[in-house]
Amino acid sequence: MTVTEDRAETAPKAEVGQARRRKEDQRLITGRTKWTDNIQLPGMLHLAMVRSPFAHARITNIDVEAAKASPNVVSVLTGADVADEQGGLPNAWPITPDQVTPNHPSIAVDRVTFAGEIVAVVVARSAAAARDAVELVDVDYEELPAALDLKEAAEDKVLAHPDLGTNKSALWVFDSETAGSGSGVDAAIEAARDGGIVIEREYRQQRLIPAFMEPRSCVVDPTGDQIVVWTATQIPHILRFLMAAVLGYPESKIRVIAPDVGGGFGGKLQTTPEEWITFMAARRLGKPCKYTESRSESLIAAHHGRDQWQKLTLSAEKDGTVTGLKVELLADLGSYVALMGGGVPVLGAFMYNSIYKFPAYQFNCQTVLTNKTWTDAYRGAGRPEATFAIERIMDELAAEVGVDPMAIREQNWITHEEFPFTSVAGLEYDSGNYEAATEKAKKMFGYDALRAEQEQRRASEDPVQLGIGISTFTEMCGLAPSRILGALDYGAGGWEHASVRMLPTGKVEVLTGSSAHGQGHETAWSQIVADRLGVPFEDVEVLHGDTQIAHKGMDTYGSRSLVVGGEAVIKAADKVIEKAKVIAAHLLEASVDDLEFSGGRFGVKGTDQGLAMAEIALATFAAHNLPDGVEASLDSDATFDPVSFSYPHGTHLCAVEIDTETGAVAMRKYVAVDDIGTIVNPLIVEGQVHGGLVQGIAQALWEEAVHDDAGTLVSASFVDYLVPTAADTISFDTAHTTSPSTTNTLGTKGVGEAGCIASTPAVVNAVVDAIRHFGVNDVQMPCTPARVYKAIHQQDQGGETPTPGGAAPHFDEADVADRSAGATDGAAAQAGDHQ
Amino acid sequence: MIAAQFDYVAPATVEEALAALAEGGDEAKIMAGGQSLLPVMRMRLNAPELVIDLGKIEALRGVRDDGDAIVIGAMTPHSQVATDPLVAEHALLVRRAVVEVADPQVRHRGTFGGALAHADPAGDLGAPALALNAQFVVAGAHGTRAVEAADFFVDLFTTAMEDTEILTEVRIPKHTGWGAHYEKFVRVAHQWPIVAVAAAVRVDGGTIAEARVGLTNMGSTPLRARAVEEALVGKPATDEAVRAAATSAADGTNPPSDLNGDADYRRHLATVLTRRAVLAAAGA
Amino acid sequence: MELTHTFTVPASIETTWSAFNDIESVAGCFPGAVVTGVDGDDFTGTCKVKLGPVAMVYNGTGTFVEKNEEAKRFVVNAKGKDKRGNGTAGALVTATMTDVGGATEVNVLTELTITGKPAQFGRGVIEDISNKLLGQFVACLEKTVNDGPPEAAEVLTDAAAPVPDDGAGAAGPAAADETATSSDPVASSAASGSAAPAAPTPIRPVPNRQHTADDSLDLGATVLPILARTYGAQALAGLGLLALLIWWIRRD
Repeated sequence: MTVTEDRAETAPKAEVGQARRRKEDQRLITGRTKWTDNIQLPGMLHLAMVRSPFAHARITNIDVEAAKASPNVVSVLTGADVADEQGGLPNAWPITPDQVTPNHPSIAVDRVTFAGEIVAVVVARSAAAARDAVELVDVDYEELPAALDLKEAAEDKVLAHPDLGTNKSALWVFDSETAGSGSGVDAAIEAARDGGIVIEREYRQQRLIPAFMEPRSCVVDPTGDQIVVWTATQIPHILRFLMAAVLGYPESKIRVIAPDVGGGFGGKLQTTPEEWITFMAARRLGKPCKYTESRSESLIAAHHGRDQWQKLTLSAEKDGTVTGLKVELLADLGSYVALMGGGVPVLGAFMYNSIYKFPAYQFNCQTVLTNKTWTDAYRGAGRPEATFAIERIMDELAAEVGVDPMAIREQNWITHEEFPFTSVAGLEYDSGNYEAATEKAKKMFGYDALRAEQEQRRASEDPVQLGIGISTFTEMCGLAPSRILGALDYGAGGWEHASVRMLPTGKVEVLTGSSAHGQGHETAWSQIVADRLGVPFEDVEVLHGDTQIAHKGMDTYGSRSLVVGGEAVIKAADKVIEKAKVIAAHLLEASVDDLEFSGGRFGVKGTDQGLAMAEIALATFAAHNLPDGVEASLDSDATFDPVSFSYPHGTHLCAVEIDTETGAVAMRKYVAVDDIGTIVNPLIVEGQVHGGLVQGIAQALWEEAVHDDAGTLVSASFVDYLVPTAADTISFDTAHTTSPSTTNTLGTKGVGEAGCIASTPAVVNAVVDAIRHFGVNDVQMPCTPARVYKAIHQQDQGGETPTPGGAAPHFDEADVADRSAGATDGAAAQAGDHQ
Repeated sequence: MIAAQFDYVAPATVEEALAALAEGGDEAKIMAGGQSLLPVMRMRLNAPELVIDLGKIEALRGVRDDGDAIVIGAMTPHSQVATDPLVAEHALLVRRAVVEVADPQVRHRGTFGGALAHADPAGDLGAPALALNAQFVVAGAHGTRAVEAADFFVDLFTTAMEDTEILTEVRIPKHTGWGAHYEKFVRVAHQWPIVAVAAAVRVDGGTIAEARVGLTNMGSTPLRARAVEEALVGKPATDEAVRAAATSAADGTNPPSDLNGDADYRRHLATVLTRRAVLAAAGA
Repeated sequence: MELTHTFTVPASIETTWSAFNDIESVAGCFPGAVVTGVDGDDFTGTCKVKLGPVAMVYNGTGTFVEKNEEAKRFVVNAKGKDKRGNGTAGALVTATMTDVGGATEVNVLTELTITGKPAQFGRGVIEDISNKLLGQFVACLEKTVNDGPPEAAEVLTDAAAPVPDDGAGAAGPAAADETATSSDPVASSAASGSAAPAAPTPIRPVPNRQHTADDSLDLGATVLPILARTYGAQALAGLGLLALLIWWIRRD
């Protein structure tokens, strides 16, 4: 026993929990790495795209002769040229059996459906020659009426795809009464209308653009036995499978490599027309082909995110105890149903009830086709929308009851004694402690002092008003239990794969199917494996992103890498230990039962005899002396399918100052206390939280993709699409509480999306809180100074009181219009703003 | 984002540049830092056959004292203007504005003259130049001429310069001892101003003796808020007095409407920002 | 984008109608543009737009979709494509004339659509540009009608005259302003074709970045008066004008 204790004292500090600097940063920051666009192959050709300027038009003629005759042009492809081979880009998640899904050609054949759609492709010997020849492709269009406004499109006034006869793609419904997870919501609302409280609100989730740092790029080399595809993607494995399935090429003959990828935020969770086209061009021409998009192409034609109208009806007792929540969504798919497509808003279906104990819940989501860029996953995917809506309306409930918005939350949330808790949406939350996170956050924030200051500013009619915004959120992440995905009609599973390979010198190679694009997997996985196998951090090499190396995987999105992919790594490492143990026992001439594994060493209990993992690895490699029937390998695989989602939660508090003279919103203080279970690397977590916060704050204050009334994206550069920089944010105060997850070995929960999910409502709640005394109860996102100013001053300009006194407001058009100052759909806003 | 093919020359003297410009004619474009031109070329919204880079003309770089004025060479980078002691002493308003131009990268590549010749109504330097009665020295085939700031800005992206002319330097009358402030209103730091106000005042014993107020992005050119200037003279540098004077800031303006706000909102902003700029300039 | 302009001409509605019915007389109001062909109610043309750092050339076609002498209304639908594939411009222009006590009120309603990069990267400026452009166009129309029916040949001469003067002196835009008048686009385009080699004036006739020797070649006299009129103005014109230019351009 003493021996063991001594060893424990001298054992290296556990890697998990250490703020290791990221292994990958040196090469990423210095640029000494390989991005897809860096790849140069002999004889490589370059692609450039001819894109439609019209949102909806028939292609009447394409004259490619001049382009073909342009110097160094090898080929010009049109949709007609590839109509028979291009198939359609896949939608992996038909959310209902009768979903209306237009065929999605990679090159438009006879009709374009959004401004930016590809109509022809020039292949040339240099990128410049290809770009030059794009100018020479002459396309004639017959313009068609375009379905642009989401609400109008939902009424089928103008059809995005006339042949389909409707813009309505699918209606997806969850009802707690039907599901047996709760009671009927309509009854709850009816009951509340008589003596209780009914709050009805409509919120706008503006259209956003993922705006990852590295524009998308794809290289396809068809010259070998296998076609090799390098691409800036989050999903090399899914891409390989789908390319094979759609393009009819043997999967075994396709190798997909995602080299270092510069960010994704869901924007690279896609199989793109550009990838399909590069693949087709390379196959046709027999030469390597490359396509790299420009930033403007990226903003216009890489998929967008969000774009929903959210109608909520919340019922409560007179004292503010919630009794029901009904959600009616309109979700803009854009002109095609993308890879996840309607699945994105559906991912929010289980989260509107959030941390609150609603007895009755109903969620209705109507997805709608329009003639705009197609939408798909964007950081948080469905859950930010849900969190925004519920956190906004809880503030409205508090205002209605006349209590502090924190009090209304405390009154309704799940208490820590109640875990595990089965929600009204049917999910089992494994762990959490909302009280603890909130208490910590309030203390860090100085909640009471800020409330006092707010009172004082209101009393003194200070031109700068203070607002406090709360977001007590949870999310479901770690996508996802395959059984649940199956039940939701998703086209694949949610497992993850890993391999651990012991090299003869004692070094370790970890293969993960979770393909990182900036998250720091190499560092975190190394920490986990170092602890598990007792080897130095530096001795672990993490390999990923190449289907020939990490041959199996489900890739990276939905805050799944650590909780699913990391768990697979642990399981594979544990198998290595089990295999090594047998060999160690043989070499030590001891019984397996007498061995204990600690600090990377198998020791014989009660003795000082033992062998280090590296020694066993070498012995296994030599294979001179293995037990009978034991194979000469320690290498192990594991495929992990989570039994449950992971439910990080937290309390975010935001204070803003609003200059009532200009409407400008300035962040004063932001506190984020996140409970993400056990933390593997605090530095990486801090980075994820900060980045997520900024992204969510950006939705609240700055970013919006706006189309004009012709369907042109007018925020198509960073001049008008306002991605914030460090200069626009403040220092965040972050901290953690820890309720370890009970559904994985380390007790981890996902963190990739938490900041982005939580922060948006915190900021908007703060904005509204600052000016609620002016009669304001909503400001549409992004809360621009102009919108805030108008909201404050709408009454002096003879506008209606936004919140009808006494009774809770109910839906009627004039009321809705009044309530959200400047509230309009993107297209309409543009027209309106420009008079 | 690949520009169309073009020829490039980098003359060492103004004379050589003028000759190149004459030869290039309509298909030539002057590059004075390239912070606006190159993006446009890369987007192929322009495809000049010849780019004449003034970056090698040393004579166009630097700030010098010229008696009652300071002279800023057209090719002086913003970053250099921002740190120049002569500018700080005699044209504080220029310094206050130039540090607000775009972002640090742009301020190191972009030039003072280039930005002014570009004549973007949302550019940060037009209003201060106008407010301080700058003179633009323009070289052409027939020698040089000086254009008053009031005549220089003609319309959106349009100046009084001919296509064959080159802006060589900007003379700014000394405003030594004047207080100055540039109040720029943006949503994110690197944005063009939604509205900005450039104010310089000479305060004498608590009274505003002279005032200059220029407006950015309130019309198709930078504008002078003369009514405000007149209303300020002789008034105490107090919030009340300045507030009253600033109410006319938007008079006669014709601001644009865009994603950041409509014209009415901009008019309102102009009055608020003018008050703030003047008060800050007056040290009040 | 819908833009409306109204002006009153101190002339009878018949006179005004006939003035407008003569597309050539209106053509001069569009800087940078040239008619390349007329066929009945259809026409083709190009428009070169230069504004600050931007330079684009639109090739377009147009049609008089309605010419109702009874109602004194004509409607022109014009569309153009940027030479470099940067987008399109389209305009549906409806001009209606009303007799107001002997004078004529002209209402010009323009539905303008600019697609592609100019709309995408404009910081919203495109709308101002378009509005301004149309305003100038309409102002020019007003002037054209007020000045009476044009005599193309003379106008050509007049218009050409300021060129050397301005070029020499960089004198004044103000003076040039007054010279704005109408001219015959068809004639001018023909003239430009033959005159092209003779016209290489390296010195700008007008202190204006937009217009150039090239313009004078293309447009001949047509555009010069306008350019001279207000430099800068025409710059703006660029983008939105395509449509317009086509409109005036055309006509028979």
